[in-house]
Amino acid sequence: MSIREKFIIPKRYNTISIALMVIGIIAIAALYITHGASKDPHEQARFWASLLQNSVYFLLVVNAAMFFICATTLAWGGWTLVFRRVPEAISTVVPVIGVICFLILMAITFGDNHIIYHWADTEHVKHDPVLLHKSGFLNKGFFTVVTFLTIALWSFLGWKMRKLSRSLDEKPLATVEERKKYTWNNTVWSALFLVVFALTVMSSTPWLWLLSIDAHWFSTMYSWYTFASTFVAGVALIALFVVFLKNTGYLELTNDEHLHDIGKFMFAFSIFWTYLWFSQFMLIWYSNQPEETIYFVNRIGNSSHPGAYEGIFWLMVIINFLAPLLILMRRGAKRNYTTVTFMALLILFGHWLDFYQMVFPGPSPDHVPMILYDFGVALGFVGLIMFVTGRALSKAPLLAKNHPFLKESVIHHT
Amino acid sequence: MGLLRYESQVRPPLVDGDKDYHQVTEDICRPVEAKPSRLWWIGFLISVALLAFGILSVTMEVIYGTGQWNLNKTIGWGWDITNFVWWVGIGHAGTLISAILLLFRQGWRTGVNRAAEAMTIFAVMCAGQFPIWHMGRVWDAFFVLPYGNTRGPLWVNFNSPLLWDVFAISTYFTVSLLFWYSGLLPDLATLRDRAKLKWRKMFYGVAAFGWTGSTKHWQRHEALSLVLAGLSTPLVLSVHTIVSFDFATSVVPGWHTTIFPPYFVAGAIFSGFAMVQTLLVVTRKVLALEEYITLEHIEVMNKVIILTGSIVGIAYLTELFMAWYSASPYEWYAFKENRLNLSSPYGWSYWIMMGCNVLSPQIFWFRKMRRNLVLTFFMSILINIGMWFERFVIIVTSVYRDYLPSAWSTYYAPTIWEVGFYMGTFGLFFTCYFLFSKFFPVIALAEIKHILKKNGKNYKEKMDEVEKESLTEFSEKHGHDHGA
Repeated sequence: MSIREKFIIPKRYNTISIALMVIGIIAIAALYITHGASKDPHEQARFWASLLQNSVYFLLVVNAAMFFICATTLAWGGWTLVFRRVPEAISTVVPVIGVICFLILMAITFGDNHIIYHWADTEHVKHDPVLLHKSGFLNKGFFTVVTFLTIALWSFLGWKMRKLSRSLDEKPLATVEERKKYTWNNTVWSALFLVVFALTVMSSTPWLWLLSIDAHWFSTMYSWYTFASTFVAGVALIALFVVFLKNTGYLELTNDEHLHDIGKFMFAFSIFWTYLWFSQFMLIWYSNQPEETIYFVNRIGNSSHPGAYEGIFWLMVIINFLAPLLILMRRGAKRNYTTVTFMALLILFGHWLDFYQMVFPGPSPDHVPMILYDFGVALGFVGLIMFVTGRALSKAPLLAKNHPFLKESVIHHT
Repeated sequence: MGLLRYESQVRPPLVDGDKDYHQVTEDICRPVEAKPSRLWWIGFLISVALLAFGILSVTMEVIYGTGQWNLNKTIGWGWDITNFVWWVGIGHAGTLISAILLLFRQGWRTGVNRAAEAMTIFAVMCAGQFPIWHMGRVWDAFFVLPYGNTRGPLWVNFNSPLLWDVFAISTYFTVSLLFWYSGLLPDLATLRDRAKLKWRKMFYGVAAFGWTGSTKHWQRHEALSLVLAGLSTPLVLSVHTIVSFDFATSVVPGWHTTIFPPYFVAGAIFSGFAMVQTLLVVTRKVLALEEYITLEHIEVMNKVIILTGSIVGIAYLTELFMAWYSASPYEWYAFKENRLNLSSPYGWSYWIMMGCNVLSPQIFWFRKMRRNLVLTFFMSILINIGMWFERFVIIVTSVYRDYLPSAWSTYYAPTIWEVGFYMGTFGLFFTCYFLFSKFFPVIALAEIKHILKKNGKNYKEKMDEVEKESLTEFSEKHGHDHGA
């Protein structure tokens, strides 16, 4: 079997990614002209909310690729090795969207518009006892430092993991002892990444970037929920690139067995997301305490207050739970390129909608803004991910050919 | 035709020594076929004595009522519910190992799954005792079952998580039992075929359900395992999720928090693995099974312990942080005054919990420590204690100071009968475990054979040639075309 090691970016791929980025820029420009440049602070906030939702969502999704690598490395999983370079390439997007996201977060925090982050309005906080109480955590200095460190650490540790993987390309490991040492080294760095991941994605990051939009509200589940949402979307993104590369004649050693297992991850973590979604929703509904239910009242409403986001809310539950449950349960579905592609796109869209209803009811509680703009912005980010990932794929060999567990992956059976 | 059973030599073997199929059978059947040792008898009798004490304690409670316990109106849940949650939590490792690790194709589960599943079943049996006897009028226990009755519109309260518990735990118990027993069938047949005494032949013959080992039997057996694994995977999550609902659906500060479900599940797996370690570190030594339950197995389980322990740690800190962040004075009081404050009546219990569950497992970051048997045993006990205190902290430190300060109760210590009841469940647990380890193979015989040619030490050593093959050679020789 001959193996094509180098990915050559097809012309059409390049054109599409650039076209999508252009659409994104046009959408941002249009959104700025129609809303961002307005004098009405609510209109301005609508502009920034779109940038916030998209940049945070896509940053967490591409970062999930590195989480996938580290989690499987730490568990000594061998099956992912034949397509390992795919999540590695996706993770190169982290610093790029990281910078964009950082700039947007800074603009929202330090700008004059406080509709999104009420807590950033120092005058207002003085008269708001709840926000005053939280100001030890929700303040501009802390927010900036933690945000900066978070993005920098993800980028650095991701780079380190990729470097470790690349280091074997030219230098095969001859003895079992050397391989053990390499595996050990990999394990240590993955563990470090996971510790940082636990302290950021699974706790502080969603609190600062997203939970603080509804600054009075609180929920201990929030960060784990956000993690589940972006992890399953991250796996879907990996699936898309794997299918794309297979269809263009690359990844010769990846076969239905690997796709099947990626499909299982999409299925399992969709259910896991639902589990966390249900736990958060049901416990708040059951206890019925106004300071907690307000979050859902703003989204789906109650008997005295219609919720503008009701449609989006239930639609995303259907997309993120019912669709994967019913469609991905069958064995054949997880081994079918078309079904996996369709489901991966659906999951990415479903969790994007989830983020939409997490961000927008804060700045725009009474009506759903014109969502077409946000689609445009999202397409821009998709183009960017395609562009940067494509570059990364073309730079490194597509196969981590000297990895100690690669042979296990070649004969992998689900 | 490709090689189906290759594994990198980087991975340590899971079966040590120079084993073949016959030797595996001999090694694992030996303890079942030999006469019980003196050590076994001593252990067994101590367990039975504890069980007897438990029965006496429960009898006292049935005759004189729950007044025999030191519960009061404010602290209505004390040792009994703490023990209930503790035992249910322990009963999580077995099904996790057998179901989720089966789905994840983890070869190392074969060394420990049988004992862990048995332990799970015994732990759930112990857990069930507490809510049953806590009812006081235990003769009315059947009221928890929703059935058409002559008491008019008197039905169980379907809105109550306590009732969901009844369904969740009984389902879990049933499926775990089926899983464990269907896995045992081939091994029981082996014992039957080897038996020389008539009663043994009969006993194992009946127990093996006529297993012959034909291909058809194996096919159905494998299919059944997968179906049961699929069924029990959600159950591993649901049981402790619903136990957590017992608390989290309320409006009691310290109980009502959304992270409870996954945090309880992580804690349950954490404590379950600790109990598996406690049992297996001793079992492998006493039954001379070190070549099957290797240091590798112990190390992997210690990794699970540090992972789940750290998840629990993140959950503790999240809960603490949100108690402050929520700006709810009641929630924050429960944490600050009832838990963090070391000089408050039960503040010490919070710090025992933190020390045992979050700080101490961090020692397992070091490989040497993960492979140290004495330390592993010590840590497993420490975690068992820590996880008991977790439930004590959640229950008692939340309720002893309720919304009405005049009702605050700062004194709660168990009576001898409360302690006796708890000891009694240890008796039940260990009596069952001793009987199990005497009459059933503590290691899944057939499953070890299944992985032997892939993970056995002597077989792995023969893989040198394959290991040296270049990738192209390897994929041409052994790769198989699955839609490649």
